This record gives sequence, C-alpha cells and structure tokens, in this order.
Amino acid sequence: MVKKILAKSYVYLILLLMYVPIIVLIIFSFTNSDNVGTWNGFTLELYPRLFKNEAIMKAVGNTIIIAVISAIVSTVLGTLGAIGTFYAKKRTRAVIENITQIPVVNSEIVIALSLTFMFVFFGTYIFRTEIFSFWTILIGHVVLSVPFVYLNVKPKLTQMDPSLYEAAINLGCSPRQALNKVIFPQIKPGIISGFMLAITLSLDDFIVTAFTSGPGLLSGAGKIETISTFIQSVIKKKVVPNELRALATLIFICVVVATILTTIYQKYQRPEYKMKYKSSDMVIKRNFRILVISTVCLLVTIALVAIILGMF
Amino acid sequence: MTDNNDYIIELKNVSKIFDDDTIAVDNFNFYVRKGEFVTFLGPSGCGKSTTLRMIAGFEFPTKGEIYLNGKDISNMPPNKRPINMVFQRYALFPHLDVFENVAFGLRLKKIPIQKFAKDGKPILKINKKKAKEINEEIKLTKKNKHLTKEEKEAKLEDLNSRLKVALTTLEPTYKYKKLSNEEISKKVARALKIVDLDSLEDRDVTTLSGGQQQRVAIARAIVNEPAILLLDEPLGALDLKMRKDMQLELKDMHEKLGITFIYVTHDQEEALTMSDTIVVMKDGVIQQIGKPKDIYDEPKNAFVADFIGESNIYNGTIISSSKVRFLDHNFNCVDKFPLNEKVDVVVRPEDVIFKEKDEGMINGVIISKIFKGVNYQYTVMVGKNEVIVKSTQDYPLNVEIGMNIYKDSIHIMKKDFTTNIYTDAWINKENKVMIDDMPFDVDITQLLKDSFVDEEGYLVSKDKKHRYDLNDADVVAEVSIEKVEIIDDLESKEVQAIGEIVDSVYKGDHYQLIVRTINEEDFVLTTPYTYNLNDKVGIHIKKEDIKLRLKKEISQYEN
Repeated sequence: MVKKILAKSYVYLILLLMYVPIIVLIIFSFTNSDNVGTWNGFTLELYPRLFKNEAIMKAVGNTIIIAVISAIVSTVLGTLGAIGTFYAKKRTRAVIENITQIPVVNSEIVIALSLTFMFVFFGTYIFRTEIFSFWTILIGHVVLSVPFVYLNVKPKLTQMDPSLYEAAINLGCSPRQALNKVIFPQIKPGIISGFMLAITLSLDDFIVTAFTSGPGLLSGAGKIETISTFIQSVIKKKVVPNELRALATLIFICVVVATILTTIYQKYQRPEYKMKYKSSDMVIKRNFRILVISTVCLLVTIALVAIILGMF
Repeated sequence: MTDNNDYIIELKNVSKIFDDDTIAVDNFNFYVRKGEFVTFLGPSGCGKSTTLRMIAGFEFPTKGEIYLNGKDISNMPPNKRPINMVFQRYALFPHLDVFENVAFGLRLKKIPIQKFAKDGKPILKINKKKAKEINEEIKLTKKNKHLTKEEKEAKLEDLNSRLKVALTTLEPTYKYKKLSNEEISKKVARALKIVDLDSLEDRDVTTLSGGQQQRVAIARAIVNEPAILLLDEPLGALDLKMRKDMQLELKDMHEKLGITFIYVTHDQEEALTMSDTIVVMKDGVIQQIGKPKDIYDEPKNAFVADFIGESNIYNGTIISSSKVRFLDHNFNCVDKFPLNEKVDVVVRPEDVIFKEKDEGMINGVIISKIFKGVNYQYTVMVGKNEVIVKSTQDYPLNVEIGMNIYKDSIHIMKKDFTTNIYTDAWINKENKVMIDDMPFDVDITQLLKDSFVDEEGYLVSKDKKHRYDLNDADVVAEVSIEKVEIIDDLESKEVQAIGEIVDSVYKGDHYQLIVRTINEEDFVLTTPYTYNLNDKVGIHIKKEDIKLRLKKEISQYEN
C-alpha cells in the first residue's frame, strides 16, 4: 500500500515539477505587476496590451512567417529526400542515412557558427555585399529541421510493405500516380509529425536566428526579431515586459489544444476503433465524432480569447 | 513475331544479368498456352521470381524478347501491360477499404473511344507517342553492353524500320473515357463474389485475417480482367491448413475464370497439386518442363528428382545392357545406357519394397522410423548408404531387413560428367585429403578465405583469432576430369593411387578413361593416348587441383 502511494506520488511529483513553472506563469498573466511574485489583483489587462504592443506583435509575426515557410520547405525537402534514399541503392542509402544523423546530434552552436561563416564568406567574395536577410534565416532554419523531417518520414517508409509501389504500378499507375495515390497516404503521418516538429524547432530557435538574422519582413529596415531574439534583446536592457506572460499563456493554450486534437485523431485511427466502426455508416459516425470534439475544442479557445479581448 | 497464335506469352532467349554481373536468368526459352496454369518451381535464388518480374515488367530482360499474344513487350512499362500480379505479402493498400482496394485498378482504367470528324470519317494522325517509344528503345539498345555487335545491329535495324513505319503511317486517334461508378461497383461486386468476400466490402483491410487479405489481393488482380495473372508465392504467409484450402480454391478459380495463371513457388507439393505445367528451375536455367506426373515419374536429372518429392539418389555404373550397379548390388533396369557409363540412379521411397531378411535383393538395417500419418518413413543403412523407404507396414528399429527394387522403379539419368566427386573423403593428420584411403596433397587453406597453416598444422584465420584442427574432418573432394594425371611408371614417386582401366571412350580428340582402384573407387580422366582395358596405371593429382568442401560448418573444428 505504502509502496503504491510512493510510486504514484513519484509520478505526480515529476509532473508537478514539469508543470509548476507554467502554472505560475499562467496565474501571473492575470495580474499587471511588473515582477512575478507580487500580486496586484486579478486583471485581464495584459492580454489587450499584448496585442497593442507593436514590437511584440512584429516579433510574433516574424516568428510565425519564418516557422511556417521554413517548415514547408524542410518538409518538402526532407520527405522527397527520404523517399529518394529509400529507393536508392543500398550503399548510397547507408551513406545518406549516416550523413543525416550528424546534424541531429551536432550542437546547434556549431551549425549556427558555420552558417554565419559561410554567409560572411559568400557576402564578401561572391555577392560583394552583406547578405544577411530573411533568406539567410530561412536557410538556417531549413538546415536545422530537414534531418528531423527525414527521420520522421523514414520509419514510415520502412514500415511500409516494399511491394506497395510495384502493386500500384502493376494496377496501372504511372510512377507519379503511384507516389500520390499510394506512397504519400502511407507516409502522411510521418510527414505531418515532421512538419509539426519543424515548426516547433523553428518557433523556439534562438541561436541560429541570432547568428543569421538580417533586415527584412515585418521589421523592415531593422534586423528581423523573432520572439526569442526579441526577448533576449529586451532583457539585456530591462526586466521582462509583463505582456510576455500573456503571450506565453496563449502559446501554451494553443499547444494544449493541438495536442488534444492529435490525440483524439490518433485514437480513432487505431485498428481496434477501425474494427469497431467497420461499416460505412459507422465510419461516418466516427468522423462525425472527431469533427464535433475538434470543433468544441476550437470554439472554447476562440471564446476564451474573445472574452479576454472583449472585456477591454 | 511468333507463328503460334495459341501462345499467350512466349520468352525467347531471355537472359537477365544484374548490375553486379550475377546471372539471374540464363537463356530462357519457354511459352505458355492460353488458359494454362503454369508453375515456376525451384529453390530460392533460382531466377523464378526474376522471370515473373520480367513478365510483369518490373525488370527488363538484358537479352532476348518477351512476346504477349505475338507482340514484343520486352520494354513495355509495367503499367501498360494487361498483366496483373498477386504479391507475396499481398501488398494491399492499408489506407483504402476492401472495395477501394479492389476498385483501384478500375479507377485508373481508361477506355479508348475512336475519334470521328463531324462528317463521320475517322480522324487519322501520325502516332507520335509510338515513335517516341521506339526512339526510347533505340537508346536503350545502344546502351546495352551485354549484346554482341551483330545482335545489336540486327535489333537496331529492326527498330529503325519500325520507326520509319510509325512516322509515315496514319493511325486512327482515340479519346479516353474513365469507367463510371456504377460499372466499377458492378465489377468489384462480381470479383468479391468470386473470392467469397462479398459481405466485407466496407471493411478496412488492416482488420482482415491473412486468408481474407489474400482473397482481396486476388480480387484486386482479377477485377481488371488481365490476360495473365501472376502469383508470386501467394500462399507463403498462410498456415498449412489455410494453404491447402487456398490451393484448391485457386485451382477452382482458374477453371472458372479461364485466365492464364503463372505461379511461382518453392513448394513442390503446391506445384504438383495445382499446375497443368511445371517449369523446374535451378541457377537461372530450366531443368525440366512437363506435366506434374511426368516430372514426378520421369525426372530428367538428379536435381529435379531430388527437388520434386523425396527420393534416394545414388551414383551408379552401367554394367551390362540392362543392369545397373548401385548399393553394391546389380539391379535390372529398363533404360539403355552405354556400358560403364556413370549415371545417377533415382529411387522413390515408396518404390522400395520390404522383404524378410535375405529374401530381397539387398539387406539393410533400419536405423530410424517416423510415423507420417498414412505410412511410416524408415531410414535403412545399406553398407555406407542410406535408403529412405515409405511403407505402411510396421517394423521394429535396428533389425536387419531385406529390400526389393524392381526395374520399373529405377530411374536412370545421364550424369554430365566433368568432375570426380568424392563424398566420403576426409582430412588426415598431415593435412592431406584421404580419397580411397590414399593420401593426396591438398591446399587446405581454401576452406577458409585468407587463412594459413601454422607450424603445428592448424588452420589459422586471417586475423589469427581462430584456429581449426581439421584432423578427421569429413570433406567432399572434387577434381575436374581434366586435372587427373595418368602415370605409366608404377614405381614413380608421383604415383598416389594405382588402379585398373575399366573403361575407355573415345571422345573425338581424346579418350575418357575410368581407372578403378582395388577399393572400387573410380577416377575418371582424359588423355590423348590410347590405353588398353585392364592396364594397371598410376594416378597423380596436383595439390592445387583438388577442391575441398567441408561437410560440417568450419566452426565445429575450432580449437
């Protein structure tokens, strides 16, 4: 009995350690004091202030633009790379697989520094001008996330029955049709998780962004700031702006919603559920359930944000 | 073009050589009649799957042509061929349900409808696509390094003339229409009914059992109404009972559908049960083509006999016009062979008849007995040889028993004799190989790559980590008949064995002799000189000419 309690409490302790900082942050996003720790009474004031703070909003905008574009580019590159190497000769495949392992374990600072040196070199000797811009950030982020996309897609390919492609061709597909109709649906979960990972990596990347950043995007002539570089630059001068607590809370809520949605989706994709909903009207029922739950989740989030904004 | 309209598919001189120069299929000549059930049978790596894949179009032949209904399809891409395949592990599309899996091919199908101008005349145009295809083929032929110059020129000439024809003749033009949903559902329903799955069309394929998946795979292939259905070991993943049921069902389906089936398997029983014709293959070469019964009863060589059903195979010698000697006994036989010819003798286990001791032609001791349901399978030792016998009678172990083998059950096959093979050779203390109890110098390092022999006589591996003591190791020694030297001077130091010439055959420019030692071991050799029968001669074999193969794994001799 004691053992059971101990075992359980251990798990809860770990969970508590993981979630306490976030909980504290969320609680203090509802008060307007400058320091975490002093409670000035409940207020939602930080939320509208967050949306009115132009510097933060620009940083958020930049971050989202970079994250989405770099994730799309690296998903395309990583997926095609994985398919290409999967159908390549054995030796080529082994070499490429080993090469893609290295950037994953390599420290980010090395990637960032080498990218910087490369851009400086190109800028000095080839383009004869400073080339740091949105493009250099994009290249940096793509370099960072392509191996992760590759590593997410590859297992899906290896799990796949190797004769599926040939089966599709045998039934009359052209090679491209076979790729679209058979291979992509098989590796779709891998592509999606690779895309999500690429977005996450790009969203909270600091080192590569800081080293490769130049003027452009929403920052105009100034250096592009993403959320992480922006925070870093303001805390160099003064305390953390309190609107950031609201921002962090909102990001956290988005992540929670996304996680819940994917969990629900995956649950209904499992064979035992497919078994349960085997006839076609049952499948419709299943899809309907997923739809309802997702919509409810989304509506609740939107309502929350709307309420907060609407109060001011 | 072929002359015979009855052949649905014909392979002419087809060879497949892979990039690493391994020859998968070697000069394959073979045809299939419309509606036949043909099985490629052979051990893994014999080229049967490669042949099937060439028919499907997943591989292109390096040499030779494949004709479908008389039309050369050697380089036609697989998606254009009216041939469908059932894959080894079904290869169903997991993201689609049963219905959509079966409908997959139909949804891609486009039906040509001839185009007519407004006045009702057909629109004629030069077929540019066809010209492009021929151009592609010309390019491929030019690159092919396996063709001889003459073959290449002949083929290029043919292709160029075809190109000219294609560029000058006007052909009717077509537009293409997809099948309607109703047509598709009708066809799918019919295909599912044939495989007894009509109630499951909404199911997800991942929720089906192995046998059901198998049926979906077959339905998916036959729904396209292919000219040929290829089946690549389709029953391999099923359990025994299911496999037996499916064998019969496939045979039934074949009769009902009238489609030509080409089936690949390594299971001889499956081949015998289902096929109209069996093609036995080994190392990319056809060993025998025939009806199941013919192949079982009259195997062409020892390999076929061994592969099709269980058999006893012995080295025999023809000793008179109707007698063959094996198992230390002279048996009557039906087949006619030249005197003293070395032959392979095949006896089926069920053709050996038990008699009381000393009442049969030969005697032996039963050393093992296995109950097989219908009968017992005995292993009987006759001298040094094992005889496998199937009998319904129950005999105790370790008793001596007599056996009869009648002349109708003795199948004699010509041995293509190029190598002396000594299966009961062994290695002695001095690392010499003992053939017929006589020591022959031999290089034992050939048994392990890059190894050497140390001072104490052990074989040591390249990295010096392993030592092997090969004293008394059983080996198979092989010596090419051209490498056995004959020595007239019996006193010479070179002489390793002495024997009597029992046979001499003139083979155009040399004699092929058989030298028999006192222990009845034969050395077959070639010589340009004439010898008389019954001459006593010496034998010498050079150290490097003896090839050894261990009977057991080398690791067993590790010291």
